[in-house]
This record gives sequence, C-alpha cells and structure tokens, in this order.
Amino acid sequence: MTARLFVLWVAVGIPLLWGVEKTLENALKLFQ
Amino acid sequence: MSSFLDRAHTIAPPGYNRFMVPPAALAVHLSIGQAYAFSTFNLPLTKLIGITKSAPDDWTLNQVIWIFSIAIAFLGASAAVFGRWVETAGPRKAMFTAALCFSGGFLISAVGIHLHQLWLLYLGYGALGGCGLGIGYISPVSTLIKWFPDRPGMATGMAIMGFGGGALIAAPLSVYLMSFFATATSVGVLETFITMGVLYFIFMMIGVYAVRVPAPGWKPEGWVAPVEPKKLVTTANVHVDVAWTTPQFWLLWAVLCMNVTAGIGVLGQASPMIQEMFGSRVTAATAGGFVGLLSIFNMAGRFFWASTSDYLGRRNTYMVFFLLGIALYALVPTTGQIGSITLFVAAFAIILSMYGGGFATIPAYLRDVFGTMHVGAIHGRLLTAWSVAGVLGPILVTYIRQYQIDSGVPKAQAYSVTMYIMCALLLVGFLCNLAMRAVSERYHHREPVPVRA
Repeated sequence: MTARLFVLWVAVGIPLLWGVEKTLENALKLFQ
Repeated sequence: MSSFLDRAHTIAPPGYNRFMVPPAALAVHLSIGQAYAFSTFNLPLTKLIGITKSAPDDWTLNQVIWIFSIAIAFLGASAAVFGRWVETAGPRKAMFTAALCFSGGFLISAVGIHLHQLWLLYLGYGALGGCGLGIGYISPVSTLIKWFPDRPGMATGMAIMGFGGGALIAAPLSVYLMSFFATATSVGVLETFITMGVLYFIFMMIGVYAVRVPAPGWKPEGWVAPVEPKKLVTTANVHVDVAWTTPQFWLLWAVLCMNVTAGIGVLGQASPMIQEMFGSRVTAATAGGFVGLLSIFNMAGRFFWASTSDYLGRRNTYMVFFLLGIALYALVPTTGQIGSITLFVAAFAIILSMYGGGFATIPAYLRDVFGTMHVGAIHGRLLTAWSVAGVLGPILVTYIRQYQIDSGVPKAQAYSVTMYIMCALLLVGFLCNLAMRAVSERYHHREPVPVRA
C-alpha cells in the first residue's frame, strides 16, 4: 500500500513540479 | 466494465490509506485545469490555412475565443445538472465519464480542425469538453470530504489546487507539442489536440483506478466528531433540492460570485494592465512572467487558504478574503501612482491567492452548512456562480477601462475606477458572508440518510 501511495504521488507530483518550474522560469523575467 | 465503475465496487477495503484519494482527485483536476491554458491555442487556430499569418478563409480570433467561453458555460451547467448523478453514481464512474467527455472533446475538435469546421470545436471542446470539466470538477469533492471529516478544507483544497495547477502544466506542454508537430504545411494544433486527448485520458485513468469511497460509518482512527460543533457547522443534512431554496445557498452563491468576479477580471487582463500602468518599464515578456506568477499564487492559495480554513473557520476565512481584498484593491491605484511594480505585483499575488482560495474553501463551507449527504450536488449547483462571474468579471474590467480611456483618462490611470468597483463587489460579498447563519431545522432532511459510502 505504501509503495502504491508513493507511486501515485510521484505520478501527479512530477508533472505538477515540471509545470511550476517552467512557470517560475518565465515569472523570473519580471525581476530581471 | 460497468461493475468496475460502480460505487459498490469502489468501497475501500480495510487498511486502505485515505491519502491515496487526494492524488486520485489531483489526476483529474490537473487534467481538466488545462482549460485555463486554452488561450495558447487561440492564435494558432487563426492560422490553420495561412500557417505563418491568417489567411482570408482562416477563423478570426473573435470566433475562436468562443470555444473557451462555451466550455466554461458548460462547466457550470453540467456541474449543476449532473451533480446529483455524480453523488449516486460514485466518484469512479463520474471520473471515467469526465475523462471520456474531456478527451472526446479534444478528439472531436481535432476532426473539426481537419475538416476546418469551427462548429465541431464548439461542440467538441466547448460543449462535450465543458461537460467533462463540470463533472470532473465535482467528482472527487464529496468523496474527499467523507474521507477527511477532520480536515475537509485541506482535502478539497488539495484537489482544487490541481485545477489551478493544470494550466501550469498545459501551457508549456501545448507550446512544446505545437512546436514539435509544426511543419511547413501545419501549425501542429491538430496533432497536439490528438496527443493531449490521449495523454489526458490516460492521466485521468490514474484517478479512476485509485479512487475509493469509505465504507459506511467509517471514521479516521481516533477521530471523534466535536460534541459542540461551531455555530455554522451542522451535523444534520439538507437535501440538494431543498438546499437551494434556503437563503444560505443564495448568500453563499453571492459570496462565491463576488469573490470570483473580482479575481477573474484581473486574471484575464493582467498582462495588458501591468504594461499600461507601468508603461515602458514592463515589456510583453515580463508581463507574461507576471501572469505566470499570478497562476502560481492562484494555485498555492487554493491549498493554503482551504487548509487554513480548517483552523480559522470558513466564514472567518472569507472575511479575510473580503476585507484584505478591499484593502489591496484600494491600494492598487496608489502603487501605479508611486510607480512601485513590487507593491503592485505583491498586491495582485495575494489577491489571486484569495481568488483561488475562494474556490477551494467553498466545498468545505457547504459541508459545514448543509451536511455531507448531497454536498457534491449542492456544490455543482453553486458553481453556476462561477459561470456568471466568468462573464461579469472580464466585462467589468474591459468595458470600464475602455470607457475611461474614451473619456480622456490616461491609460496608466484607466484601471483606478475598476479597482474601486472591485472593492464595492467585495463589500457586497462581505455583507452576504456576514449575514450567514446556520440553516433552520425546518430544512433538515428527516428521512434516514441512504447508507452509501
């Protein structure tokens, strides 16, 4: 159950973190 | 297949970890949150024939922007209409239906692009996809509330955060896919629609597979329902058909509508607003960064404020939204006058966090006021406030700005009146929230609550 829980969170977490990183990259232009 | 999707087959076995449900809900919300990034397709859809620039036979931007508007209208309508069905069918069947509608919407739209028939995009992404958005949005809400009676705000906040986060994934993904598929004879939108339709279907299946409902009577280990609940929190239930005849439903409808109207107008106009208020100091690229930053705060606010509401109470949390919102909107014209981009950005970052927070806190507020029995269906009906706000907010911001400019007000100051009008809207929301009282006992559901997980 714990492994399945981990896989589930990773499955949704990776795309979300990728999206946040890409957006932050863009947002930083505001302060350059 | 039907039995796998039935509510009866989704009852969690003993030992099931309830923290499996938030990622299941996130898988659905991160997918349907793509809707917020649909604008990335607007310009390419106007160059399907001309490729590098619009040809005379290409669709115009005014025709294309209706796809998103139709989708949002269908979101509100389908959430209201199918809310009760979602409650009875269970989250797995609802999520599966949402996946079929949402992905099917992409695929029908791809056919529409291939045949260059705009009505197929209105029907596909707009109507069918919009139904996927509405059903998908409400599908995990009541399940999460039942799994987390001790932290309903945090649980629904986690899911609804996904709807905000979906755009953060979809925007760069759409741009990447379009550039990957683009050729000398295609802008790559058709292939992108097919790819996204398939990808989102697979991703939503994670939610379909993982979601479970708690067994009847299940409670978190060691958790005891408060003996003396807070003033607004009921242990009774109100039927969905009764709920919307209560003053509380319409007060909450107004609360959500005012909070969303104030935020959504700004979200849509954020890029031109910062450029016009600060002139040459802000380029189009940095304005894009500002929009991205607002999206992050919109997403983070959903989790932060909804979780905070478990401690502050729902009504107090909305009091903060309205009072702090009024103060910040009133401050915005001053930030323009003194030329402080930092203050301007900080004010709108907090405003957008509360815009997202409003969406994420409302399911728990409904649960407090109307009980858990039909909370998903009641939430669905309340989302019509979103549809109204989706029209009202952008109209207020754009038309008042235009009126100001036509009246000779410099562009940099054209938003001041709008900001004060937003303050007035938030004041209305504040008063509605202030008027909230517990639902009268005469509205409570007398018959035994159906034993349903």
